[in-house]
Amino acid sequence: MSIKRISFVVLFLLIAFLSSCNKEKPSHSNRVVIGIESDIQSTNPLFSYTVDEGNISELLYLSLIQFGWNSNEGELIPEPMLAKDWQWNKDSTSVTFDLRNDVYWSDGVQFTAKDIVFSFDLYSDPQVQSSRYGMFKDFYSDSSSHIDLDKTFIVENPFKITINIKKGVLPDFNDFAIPIIPQHVYDNIDRKNLISAEKEMKPVTDGAFILSKWEKNQAIILRANKKSFLTKPSGPQEIIFKVVPEYSSRITQLRRGEIDLMEDIEAGDVAQLRNDSNLKIFPLLGRDYDYAAWNNIDPDTYRKTKRITPNKLFGDEKVREAFTYAINRQGIVNNFLNDMGQVAIGPVSPIFKNSLDTLLNPLPYDPEMAKKILASDGWKDVNQDGVLEKGNLKLAFTFYIPGGNPRREYAATVIKNDLKKIGVDIRIESLEPQVFFQRMFAHEFDAWMAGWSVPLPLDLKPFWYSDLKNTPLNISGYQSKAVDLLLNQIEKTKSPPYRKQLYREFQELVYKDNPMTFLYWVDNIIAYNTRIKDINITPLGAVYHCWNWTVNN
Amino acid sequence: MTMRIKIWHQITAICFSLLVLKVNLVIKIFSLQLVFFNVLVADYSKAIYQIDFSLIDYFISAIMIIIIPVGVIFLRRRIKVFSLSLNFTSAIIIILAAFFVFAPLVANNNPDFQQNIGETKLLPPLSSVEVIHLKREVKPAQNLLDKLVKLKEEVIKNTYDESIIFADSLSISSNATIFQKNSQIILPKDRILYSDGLPVITREYFLLGTDEYGRDIYSRLIYGARISLFIGLGSVIISLLLGVSLGFLAGYPGGFIDTIISRVTDMFLSFPAIFFVILILALFGNSLFTVILVLGFSGWMSLFKIVRGEVISLKQKDFFISAKMAGLSNYNLLTKEILPIILAPVVVNLVFQYGSVILAEAALSFLGLGTGSFYPSWGAMIEAGQNYLTQAWWMVVSPGLCLFITLFAANNLGREIQLYYNPRLKG
Amino acid sequence: MKKEILQLLFKRILTSLIVLFLLISFIFFLLRISPGDPSLKFVSPDLSPKLASKIRDSFNLNSSLISQYKQFIINLIQGNFGVSYTYRIPVISVIKDFLPFTLIFSSISFLIQIFVGFLLALISVRRINGVFDKTVLRLSLIAYAIPSFVLGVSLILVFSSMLNVVPSSGLSSFDAGSFSFFAKISDYIIHLILPVVTLSLSGVAVYYKYLRQNLEEVYDNSFVLSLRANGFTEKEIIRKHVLPNAINPLISVAGVELGILFSGALVTEVIFGLPGMGRLTVNAILSRDYPLVVGCTVISGVLVILSNLAADLIKIRFNKRLIKGMLN
Repeated sequence: MSIKRISFVVLFLLIAFLSSCNKEKPSHSNRVVIGIESDIQSTNPLFSYTVDEGNISELLYLSLIQFGWNSNEGELIPEPMLAKDWQWNKDSTSVTFDLRNDVYWSDGVQFTAKDIVFSFDLYSDPQVQSSRYGMFKDFYSDSSSHIDLDKTFIVENPFKITINIKKGVLPDFNDFAIPIIPQHVYDNIDRKNLISAEKEMKPVTDGAFILSKWEKNQAIILRANKKSFLTKPSGPQEIIFKVVPEYSSRITQLRRGEIDLMEDIEAGDVAQLRNDSNLKIFPLLGRDYDYAAWNNIDPDTYRKTKRITPNKLFGDEKVREAFTYAINRQGIVNNFLNDMGQVAIGPVSPIFKNSLDTLLNPLPYDPEMAKKILASDGWKDVNQDGVLEKGNLKLAFTFYIPGGNPRREYAATVIKNDLKKIGVDIRIESLEPQVFFQRMFAHEFDAWMAGWSVPLPLDLKPFWYSDLKNTPLNISGYQSKAVDLLLNQIEKTKSPPYRKQLYREFQELVYKDNPMTFLYWVDNIIAYNTRIKDINITPLGAVYHCWNWTVNN
Repeated sequence: MTMRIKIWHQITAICFSLLVLKVNLVIKIFSLQLVFFNVLVADYSKAIYQIDFSLIDYFISAIMIIIIPVGVIFLRRRIKVFSLSLNFTSAIIIILAAFFVFAPLVANNNPDFQQNIGETKLLPPLSSVEVIHLKREVKPAQNLLDKLVKLKEEVIKNTYDESIIFADSLSISSNATIFQKNSQIILPKDRILYSDGLPVITREYFLLGTDEYGRDIYSRLIYGARISLFIGLGSVIISLLLGVSLGFLAGYPGGFIDTIISRVTDMFLSFPAIFFVILILALFGNSLFTVILVLGFSGWMSLFKIVRGEVISLKQKDFFISAKMAGLSNYNLLTKEILPIILAPVVVNLVFQYGSVILAEAALSFLGLGTGSFYPSWGAMIEAGQNYLTQAWWMVVSPGLCLFITLFAANNLGREIQLYYNPRLKG
Repeated sequence: MKKEILQLLFKRILTSLIVLFLLISFIFFLLRISPGDPSLKFVSPDLSPKLASKIRDSFNLNSSLISQYKQFIINLIQGNFGVSYTYRIPVISVIKDFLPFTLIFSSISFLIQIFVGFLLALISVRRINGVFDKTVLRLSLIAYAIPSFVLGVSLILVFSSMLNVVPSSGLSSFDAGSFSFFAKISDYIIHLILPVVTLSLSGVAVYYKYLRQNLEEVYDNSFVLSLRANGFTEKEIIRKHVLPNAINPLISVAGVELGILFSGALVTEVIFGLPGMGRLTVNAILSRDYPLVVGCTVISGVLVILSNLAADLIKIRFNKRLIKGMLN
């Protein structure tokens, strides 16, 4: 056979195949496809470490209570789920839940209070390494943070349970909003190997959806659970999480209708997506902010001796304030975020309307002011090389950023240029994220840029409390006795108006001290196909409570 | 054809035309040099603070633009290469070399210059914006150093310029209102610079458009030529040193050392180079220097094989054995007998490798492990443009074209060298 | 002859084992001395700091480097690569999910590269410096010089976004399970057309250039002239005499290329969202999943060595004298 003939045959076969394509397309009844960046590792809520894993496990497993979002107050509202109702005792040290008696696991076994005790047991067991490990601070527990079951749980009957919490702590519903897992499935498995063993097992779930198929690195396909009390006939019958690692491919698929919903859209793409009549854009007010950190303490001394000494360059809050004046933050918001974000004033996200201090205004972009402040602090360009000096110190340093994030690269470039205008010479070094974060947590940098996501509900202590050993996220080493006092009071107070007052005072102090330059809050831009109706996007997530959606064909 | 264009013609032509076009700048650089040396003599300690990379860069390119054409004209008969006739490949290589040396003269602007991003970002090629000039406070120069600083500010392009504003239009009533795309700036009237009662407005042209920061792509391409050449040459040299020295070390004595080095080479070959590169960059950070180092480290294996093979086969040749019998030292054997023979395959290999290194750098940028957008390497520019493919095609096309032409030239050069050493091949 | 081949195989296996051992040790130490921490993923405002330290303990990263290495080698000899830090299942099972796709995908691309490159070179060499030859030569250079990520992204832009004829990512449709066999195959093909083109184009250019050059060299030899004088047709000359001589160097190149292809086509996999070894390896590196990195390295090392061996065996079939050189 000659090459010519082979090539003809191949060509013919190709054409034959291609022409047979696109013919078999079954009806996509009530199906919603959600584009995600990377595959999940587990559908089990015990091991849901990432946002996507959390979203998916919450569709599969029900929690004792769920949350709604009060957008007027900017607060979470606890709502019934597995628990129909609950009562606190007088001194708020125990709460009794009435449970639903119509919930069954997908293998037919009924859900009871025993599953709840078992779930809390597993989540807090150090051997299991669950995503919630170490977070049950309000419960009676042993030295390894394992909850003391006898002291904590009283099963009154299979559908009534009382949970005791420690005296003196503020009751927090977040402690109870964990997805419950079936005891009869995991009871006999060695807890140490649970994390591996779980991968081989077919998930037994009780949620609004059932795992129908999981094609590794391709898609996670969920089917509506007809027996669930949450499922509505008009709701989505199938939810598919499709793994598309390349961002631009995700956008392409969104526009083609291959994907119905996608989060984290870059602001630059919004204009062209808006032209698409099938798509709706929803910029969700941000819970994430980027910051430029100027280390308050000297990192080398702290690493070596654990002693806290002020940083040579940025120990003085005047310098930090000058930098905040010098950086055109509004410019970044205008030009990179296309106004899908806002300049940050402090660490309290604008979504927390009740806690936010609305009287504060961001420092304006004012390089002249910055120059004045620096000059008054003794920074002058004596040798006229374009860089400010004070004695032997030169206002020149390396600014580290994690690589692979276009927004931060953009902001860093702007910062470099803006600071150069006031006589500060910075060299940007972009590090691979793993290396960057390891060195950041090890207190190796003088100046760097990263971002935080503010937890829901608001919790500021891990970021701002002065004791660096127990607040691992206060990496810029902010030291303030007054702030410590406020944070301790916030933790204890039970009166909402007083707490609001304390939060305001906290924000004013931080505003004055400029522990870092808060750059901007980034909107989470979500786009979804207009096929999806009744969608309610809140800071809890776009996919949250998706069983309430109505889906047109 | 009586008169063919030769290489030295092109070199001198480029230099002269640059000199004519930028004569103002060149003169200013020379006067800057003069002032600088005056300060240097007067007060050494003050002058050294003024030295930075861009100052030296400007000095060198101004000196070179005089020296090179003169040198070439004088040496054109002595050095054969200059009298070769010009073809596409050599023309490209000379242009690239000119970019490399004369970047400050060729480029319009500092590659990192950004101002009024909202007004200038993502402009298509050949577009322009109005430049409104502001008054500057002119401090009288009190001493020589002040004069130097002032002159330096004037000559060396900075990443910002506080005396201009890019805008669409300007209207002056009680205040000066500057209109930009999405915003307007209101300034007191007397901030604007006037000449004959009219505000001074010029136009800034962007030959190849601007990127997402409003930076001039043309200037970035010129400086990018430097970075890309630097990455390519740097890593090729590292490969050369490693490959050749290890090849000798293995091939010449043979035996146990040979076995060890060969196995280590096999080890590197049994793992795709891209993973090795990513591994090292991920583990040890991705600065420009590491990128060069690691690309160099990943490409020495084929050179090693060539050198080792040639050395081993040479060892058995008659002339080599007799040279050794004649008592030539190892060093002499190396330089007189071995090096000339392995030169040809090594050079060819290097040229081809150069092309693949530039490509690899681009791919690394795509995977987020390149030198980052802080150096305008072509690969990084393509990567950045890729995100704006639907909005700003020119961000990909211009660096892409440059990359392609360079690769094309490198390939042709490799082929020509191959032909030169091995004339049996043709076409 | 048989004996010599066995001897060759034995020798190859021995040296390959040494090379693999070197490779594994090299990667092991490189990973351990480098910055980065596999438990870093578990440090976040949403997770307790206690979790990260518990996880770090369970990875056994706190013992000394030498004892870790010893344990690692002992496990390896028993065929145990350990448990992946990210997937939390044995490394072998993780790789089992990814390898088949890579093997099939790269084989298809490899065959296309060879086939098309070959075809073009054969047509080209009939009239050296003819119109076809010159055009293809130029085009091949362009194809070689286009970075594959630019090509991939532009293909998606044109064929998926603008023309809307093929899907832009993934391996199959969600409903593929319910398709008939024929429809399933065509579903795969339609998904893989763009990736295969992206992956193959530069390869086609390389093989074309190689083959064209070799063919040309052999073609110019005097023995072709004498064959022509003896009245052999051009076709016979090419098939019986020119090709066997020209193809030899190509086989070594192809062997190396195939091995590299088998290790995964990283850029293509990233652009088109394909579940291949390339992405697996790089993600393992980036997340510091040490056991998985070592596992992927071993697999790719074995595949590279095997495909080189295959290339050598094929060469021996064409030219039996080569075995002597290989044995030394």
